[in-house]
Amino acid sequence: MRNRSPLAAAVGDISEGLRLSPVWWRLGLELTYNRYRRTLLGPFWIAGAMLTTGLSLSFVFGSLLGGSWRESMPHILGGVLCWSLVSGIVAEGANTYMGAAGMMQVQRLPLSFYSLLSANRILINFLHQIVAFWVVMALFKLLTVPHWTLVLAIPLVALTGFFLSIPVAMISTRYRDIGFMIGLFFGALFLLTPVFWSRAQLQPDKRWIADYNPFSHLLEIVRQPFLGQSAPLLNWYASFVTLGVAIVLAVTCLALFRKRVIFWL
Amino acid sequence: MVSTSLELFGVTLDYPVYSVSAKSLRSSVMNLAVGGRLMKDQSDTAVVRALTNIAFKIEEGDRLAIIGHNGAGKTTLLKVIAGIYEPTEGVVDVKGRLTSMISVGLGMDPEASGIQNIYNMALMRLVRKSVIKERIPSIVEFAELGAFINLPVRTYSAGMVARLNFGVATELDADILVLDEWMGAGDAAFHDKAAKRMERFVASAKMIVVGTHNLGLVRDVCNKVCVLDGGRMSYFGPVEEYFERLAAA
Repeated sequence: MRNRSPLAAAVGDISEGLRLSPVWWRLGLELTYNRYRRTLLGPFWIAGAMLTTGLSLSFVFGSLLGGSWRESMPHILGGVLCWSLVSGIVAEGANTYMGAAGMMQVQRLPLSFYSLLSANRILINFLHQIVAFWVVMALFKLLTVPHWTLVLAIPLVALTGFFLSIPVAMISTRYRDIGFMIGLFFGALFLLTPVFWSRAQLQPDKRWIADYNPFSHLLEIVRQPFLGQSAPLLNWYASFVTLGVAIVLAVTCLALFRKRVIFWL
Repeated sequence: MVSTSLELFGVTLDYPVYSVSAKSLRSSVMNLAVGGRLMKDQSDTAVVRALTNIAFKIEEGDRLAIIGHNGAGKTTLLKVIAGIYEPTEGVVDVKGRLTSMISVGLGMDPEASGIQNIYNMALMRLVRKSVIKERIPSIVEFAELGAFINLPVRTYSAGMVARLNFGVATELDADILVLDEWMGAGDAAFHDKAAKRMERFVASAKMIVVGTHNLGLVRDVCNKVCVLDGGRMSYFGPVEEYFERLAAA
């Protein structure tokens, strides 16, 4: 028997993680359920942050940026809803390996398993938030039938987040400063991405900030279907390119550093 | 059916130890700025050679004891066998399903009940839900947890956690069981019970690798011994021969 090449081992790590899907799916549900334990309103608290941020932003910015509240509210609330999926997997993923240190010390599981478990928890939270989003939209009589591209957009965004979270989690484990940096980075990105504003509201010479931001394209491909339409093709192309880059980054980092992560804990 | 075996070929493990400052970005950037010459002195990263050229093979029915002083590399070797650490050089060839119990309690969720932890541990070992359900009564019986099984694991004593962990590890159809210092917790009655259970486990043509200080356990349960000394293997062979050597020395 010979040692596998680092590249083969990296790809093997990811495919092994994907094959463990029943495990991280169930564990993700279990961990989410654990967070409800001994709470009265349980799932509501998971959706609560999205609702308070989204409604406050749409109240203030809806009027600041002009236009009717009924027009801007779905855009802003949908933006906040989708942002939690687009940024959450990567932002939360930074602490994945440090958080799983206990499991990693006693059990051999592929590194991608822990990232999938973490991504899955964000996805489960997102599914909670979708329900809350639709309830609020229904209350304001703004409910629209989602566009079918949603079923394509959610997996695409979740996968991109998963692949990006692997290199991010690795550097954050090796250099403990990065974890804090990631928090600041996504805090700024929330403001710099058209989550609660739109590209058209920017002065033309500042629009590059939305155009060259991969997260704004990822956000749009999930948000637009919630508002009843498909996102422009450009957003889709940009999202697929981002996924490709994320895969290359993840495989490269796994090939180079996979063996060492356990010693960085 | 593929037979169960475990073979190590020239396994060497280098273990980088990062100090607190080595984990910070600032010191890495500073090192870059200072230049290569000082990098080694300032990086605070020590490399420990924990295992040097370990090679052996064990087969079905073997019960291997890994013994040695504190720091000789017992736990590290068990972790390499369990696949938690990948060797720097050499190959670990495992044929069969391997279950490890390296550290009692780690990897359990203290907030969840004993039952839920059994499910979680089994899931992570890729055991089907229906199979786990069947085994739960016998795990609970072995662990002597009674009604405690429905309480959160944080309320358990160290011995209870050890029994639960051992019960799960031996019940879930592993071919190779890797244990470390599992006798540390638990009383004399538990030791007898655990030894009996290990015999039964081995009777069904399976393999055990155990790291221990307890020579009584080695004599009673094991048939082969691997002695580690400073990360090198100073003896590998049958238990009887090892004790003869000890007596002669």
